[in-house]
Amino acid sequence: MPDLDALKAEAKRLLDEGVIEMVIGFKAGDTPLHPQPAFFKTSEEIDQLVYNALCQNNLATYLTRFPKTQKIGMLVRGCENRSVNALVFEGQHPRENLYLIGIPCEGIIDWRKIIEQAGEEVISVIEQSDNTVLVESKSGYFTLEKDTLLHESCARCIHPNPISADIVIGELLPEGDPALAREQVAAFANLSLQERYAWFRQEAERCIRCYACREACPMCYCEECFVDHVSPRWTESGTTPAGMQGWHIVRAFHQTGRCTSCGACERACPMDIKMTYLTEKLNEDMRQKYNFEAGMDTKTPPPFSTITLDDKSRFIV
Amino acid sequence: MNLILKKDQLNHQLNAWRQDYEVHAPQSLENYTHFLPLQDEFELALDKAHNTRIPPKALFLPTSEALLKFTRVGGYEQVPTETAPRLIFGIRPCDAHAMTMLDTVFEQERYTDPHWQARHDATLLVGLGCHEPCQTGFCTTVGSGPFNHAGLDAILTDLGEIFLVETLTEKGERLFSQLETATEEQSTQASELQQAAAASMPIAFEKEGLKEKLDQNFDSPYWEEVSRSCLGCGVCTFLCPTCFCFDIVDEAQRGERVRNWDTCMFRTYSLEASGHNPRPSRVERTRQRLSHKYTYWVDQINQIGCTGCGRCVRYCPVGLDIRAMLRKAQQLPSEVAHV
Ligand code: SF4
Ligand code: SF4
Ligand code: SF4
Ligand code: SF4
Repeated sequence: MPDLDALKAEAKRLLDEGVIEMVIGFKAGDTPLHPQPAFFKTSEEIDQLVYNALCQNNLATYLTRFPKTQKIGMLVRGCENRSVNALVFEGQHPRENLYLIGIPCEGIIDWRKIIEQAGEEVISVIEQSDNTVLVESKSGYFTLEKDTLLHESCARCIHPNPISADIVIGELLPEGDPALAREQVAAFANLSLQERYAWFRQEAERCIRCYACREACPMCYCEECFVDHVSPRWTESGTTPAGMQGWHIVRAFHQTGRCTSCGACERACPMDIKMTYLTEKLNEDMRQKYNFEAGMDTKTPPPFSTITLDDKSRFIV
Repeated sequence: MNLILKKDQLNHQLNAWRQDYEVHAPQSLENYTHFLPLQDEFELALDKAHNTRIPPKALFLPTSEALLKFTRVGGYEQVPTETAPRLIFGIRPCDAHAMTMLDTVFEQERYTDPHWQARHDATLLVGLGCHEPCQTGFCTTVGSGPFNHAGLDAILTDLGEIFLVETLTEKGERLFSQLETATEEQSTQASELQQAAAASMPIAFEKEGLKEKLDQNFDSPYWEEVSRSCLGCGVCTFLCPTCFCFDIVDEAQRGERVRNWDTCMFRTYSLEASGHNPRPSRVERTRQRLSHKYTYWVDQINQIGCTGCGRCVRYCPVGLDIRAMLRKAQQLPSEVAHV
């Protein structure tokens, strides 16, 4: 955990010195499992800043809401930093108008895993120094190993450190093992076609098309998402199998070379739908075939965002 | 009348009902519970969670349904609504309460929705009261309670080894006619437990004067403040037992006119064909969601359009809590100066 006082001090300094106009971070939530994204404009407000492992949102999703001229400070973990980079590459905010306060990230806790063990009625959650989490719920007190509570995206994270922050608060962590990410991809990719389709169908069919996954995703900032387009319609509108599968497949493919593996989509989903097996497969393909990972800098174009005259696919040029 | 249903007889009873009804009860699905029709083998998940993740409104207003089928060359036919008798077992009082509110929408004198009505007429609701109320719910604050009878044909109180059954309608009485009568002692025990449960729930916000506050502060910066981190997704409304908005779409390729859930939190909900959007941002959309529940319903049916089920609080991906929003609204000035 980074030192909260050091985070606050830096955020206050930035606002007091006028380096930036606003800090995007988190504040305590009204319920024990959900700290809230917050927008701090004065150094007094910074007193409310919190940061802990339950901060489940990718703050970069808010970046595209603000004018490009606005000078914005943001707390960034490894994945958020990469999302910001990818957004900067896509022209969504100039890097010079951003000040990234980096936090080496020990992983986000998936609140679902807390209620799985402690029951629905959670009263408080306290992270303890020995890598355990003390949960009080109506069913009693539970001391849970933090590692067992991590969201899957975090358990297999390759780059936990912010890679291009303006300042890093906290000790840098060792890099993750890409083999872990590959394992998850393999668990899906090595299945037979029928099994893969059954898996896909089983996840997609619980979808209610609330689009929380889209709204939580920093890279889904299209003014008009393909599912909202009516003439022509790109996919069926409802929760029919075709509608839900169309939504899931196309959303994933729109992230090819853009998804930074943050897992915010999955954490936002009210129906506990797994979807990162699709984006992770695409990310692995990007690594294997193009030696590319999204958001590692702000200059390298994602393979699918480039067109060259010697492109292998003749239909493009 | 108060009756006794022994817990070890419950599955037997459910199976007996299955002769005459399609019985839906909360069962585990992933990490949550869901109303699913009972099969020959089933495992109830009555204790896993108070409310199912998806509210039972979905059994009356499905996420998507075809209203009519048509062909390109002309001609159409209506899709009949299935009306097999159904029994919903284990619905919580807040969700049953919501059904009575939705009736005022779908079963108005002048406009009755035939699909809703057919399903509603064919369905019995057997409720399970909450002897240990949930953390995020606030049913008592909005005028209901953990043992509220509204909308139910019968309600169960968990007394350990047995359920005390209170039948509330004729249909409910017939359903339980085989059971033995509860002793006076058991009835007293249940009513004490019911009162204690209600009393244990804190008042989430002051209801008095809330509507006026919201009405008077339509243009207040309050709305921007409370909606700042909102993602504009469909979670709080789709999971809400009283939200009923839908969109009607012609799926031309399949030749179906379908009705899908829709929500005021979506940009496209209020987007007009001209491109104008009278609710251009999450600020206006959040105002609509709260105002609909806490002022427009009050105008229309003199009831708050929220049953306090707590789903929106629990599942909002950014932790926005309607209770906190309403507490904050109570701090707003009462009289807005008019220039
Ligand atoms: S799914 Fe595709 S079209 Fe929709 S917002 Fe995301 S990137 Fe844009
Ligand atoms: S968040 Fe979940 S339920 Fe909502 S649209 Fe995405 S996958 Fe479907
Ligand atoms: S669930 Fe939360 S983020 Fe989504 S629309 Fe509702 S208030 Fe906004
Ligand atoms: S507004 Fe929230 S608490 Fe009220 S009925 Fe709807 S989901 Fe439940």
